[in-house]
Amino acid sequence: MTFRMPKFLRGFRAILYKEFIVIFRDRTTLFFMFFPPLLQIIAFGYALDNDVKHMAMAVYDEDRTADSRQLVDAFVNTQTFRVVKRVDSLAELESMVRRGQAYAGLEIPPDFTRKLHAGQKADVQVLIDGSNSTTALQALNTALGVAFQQSVRILLGETNRRELPVEVRPQVLYNPSMRAPNFFVPGVIGTALQIATVFAAAMSIVREREKGTLEQLLVSPLSRWGLMLGKIVPYLCVSMTMAMILFLILRWVFFVPIHGSLVMLVVAAFLYIFALLSLGLLISTKAQSQNEALQMSMTVMLPSIFFSGFIFPRETMPGIFYAFSTILPATYFIELMRAIILRGASFLEFWRHLLILAVMGGVLFSLCALRFKRKIA
Amino acid sequence: MNEPTNNAMIQCENLTKRFGEFTAVDRVTFSIAKQSIFGFLGPNGSGKSTVIRMLCGILEPTEGMGRIAGHDVSRDADAIKGSLGYMSQRFSLYDELTANENLQFYARLYGLRGEAMKTRRDELIALTHLEPYIDRRAGQLSGGWKQRLAMACALVHSPTVLFLDEPTAGIDPVARRELWDLLFELSSGGMTLFVTTHYMDEAERCTHVGYIYMSKLVVCGAPDDLKQLPAVNPPGTKRLDVTCDHVTAGLRVVRKLEGVRASTVFGQSMHFLVEESMPEQSIRDALAGVGIHQVDIRLIGPSLEDVFVALTRQYAGGPA
Repeated sequence: MTFRMPKFLRGFRAILYKEFIVIFRDRTTLFFMFFPPLLQIIAFGYALDNDVKHMAMAVYDEDRTADSRQLVDAFVNTQTFRVVKRVDSLAELESMVRRGQAYAGLEIPPDFTRKLHAGQKADVQVLIDGSNSTTALQALNTALGVAFQQSVRILLGETNRRELPVEVRPQVLYNPSMRAPNFFVPGVIGTALQIATVFAAAMSIVREREKGTLEQLLVSPLSRWGLMLGKIVPYLCVSMTMAMILFLILRWVFFVPIHGSLVMLVVAAFLYIFALLSLGLLISTKAQSQNEALQMSMTVMLPSIFFSGFIFPRETMPGIFYAFSTILPATYFIELMRAIILRGASFLEFWRHLLILAVMGGVLFSLCALRFKRKIA
Repeated sequence: MNEPTNNAMIQCENLTKRFGEFTAVDRVTFSIAKQSIFGFLGPNGSGKSTVIRMLCGILEPTEGMGRIAGHDVSRDADAIKGSLGYMSQRFSLYDELTANENLQFYARLYGLRGEAMKTRRDELIALTHLEPYIDRRAGQLSGGWKQRLAMACALVHSPTVLFLDEPTAGIDPVARRELWDLLFELSSGGMTLFVTTHYMDEAERCTHVGYIYMSKLVVCGAPDDLKQLPAVNPPGTKRLDVTCDHVTAGLRVVRKLEGVRASTVFGQSMHFLVEESMPEQSIRDALAGVGIHQVDIRLIGPSLEDVFVALTRQYAGGPA
């Protein structure tokens, strides 16, 4: 206990100890720091799955030949569709789709096999429920693909060529199975951490202002850096714990492989959380009531769910939103997560993002301390 | 008010605070000597807390200046913080922390540590008799015990000046008396105390009192000096205490008599400000007229309440 705090950190230790006790005794804060992020990662992780598999399909086969059955099998073999019902009229087929019992309806006309063997164009109708764009797009692409494959197979037979004239061999890097959780869950960690940290920090000083304890602190020789550091460190510890739990869920609940460095993952989380907590504290020094703090945090957080690239790719955003996304910490963290977890990128490839997060955190935290008035009103 | 400046612990010179158009404190000037117990009185919203906040260095004065031990409170705030104690109306305790943890927190905040902290904590526990409640959460303490704990927290760094903003509001009479005993003890130990209150009996105990009304300091001085003021004792008048049954009925007839300038009921008796020449017999006669025969009349001096009432009336109604 011989170590003396430098003058500019006066009161740091007192605030630090107090804040730790308060965090762990105040069940409400702890609950709101842990529960929403966990709920969010579980819900988003499962719900934001745009891998469309085994869509319900109804079949109206008027041809009933080996060829028509083979076509239906080709659809099913893509794994995109499964046949839920065979119907006996076009009206019934349409009604299945309309009532939502099937996403797609396949109609094979009676002259399908005859036209096929006569070298004529054989038409097949596919009805697709367009009310959900993700599933509709997938159904459409798969249907076109099936038609294309069937055509190519027949054409190859007729021309005596054994191979396609041109063949594209796509190789999807980093997420070869195109699993949605691999893409979404690292992003969810970004938004989940944001909710817990910004709210908690935004409440911390404003609550003392409402309770009147802030006045008592201002009368004391407490320094503003001491106050801010003493406030941020306990929240940093709790939030880092939260981040670790989220990483564990990512790895062992959603089975997303982590290709990059775990150390870098932790560093990125630390810098991100520091920036978010500083933002929360900044809100806390400005807001006069908890209500005001809540509204201010929402104003900051809602846009980052839409513009950080978490759901919509930033590259397709209009210029103004793209520009806006560059000032959000979440943007950089989510890109870092995808780079480290999915691409296994090395430090040299993403250090700029780390630096930007660090600068954001540093600037926001300094703003808190420098702009915090040791006066009331 | 007339202490030599070199002995002054707390000073205000034309201290003024405006919030937009509203003037909360208007050119307040006073000086409080070391070791005084200064009672600061005034109705709610008259500016008492605003004066305290400016003197504690947490509210910037619009004009004028305040000094604590010679240091300008707005420019030199850091110089006085270590020697200044403040107990706010709301007690400023952390509900989630135990009494002991609250004490430790404030001790650390003022740089106390290790053995020094423990010694000081034990002293304060003994001083405020907090021992049985030391491990209880502050949020679960009753008003009186919260006030003791807040007091202990405000004293943790042994300040030389202590500001108490309505320390006795809403606490029981026993705790109130014990607090005052403690204040006298602290004052005799060399501390200067600045206490706001609504209670006249508390004001009577102070070595000096100030009365603030509508943002302006109406009067300031030692209670006994204030009771001698001409405004309180208009020339050619005297104050009488009249004790009898049925005081309300009595008051109704006596206040109509010629020569009675002011009247009020005071428990089982009535207080009158009457003309010097008015004979006691006229009061007895009037009371007998409504069937009150057992009457005891005494000559009395003004109370502090009389002082404040007289001065407020004079102030509100212009020169009397």
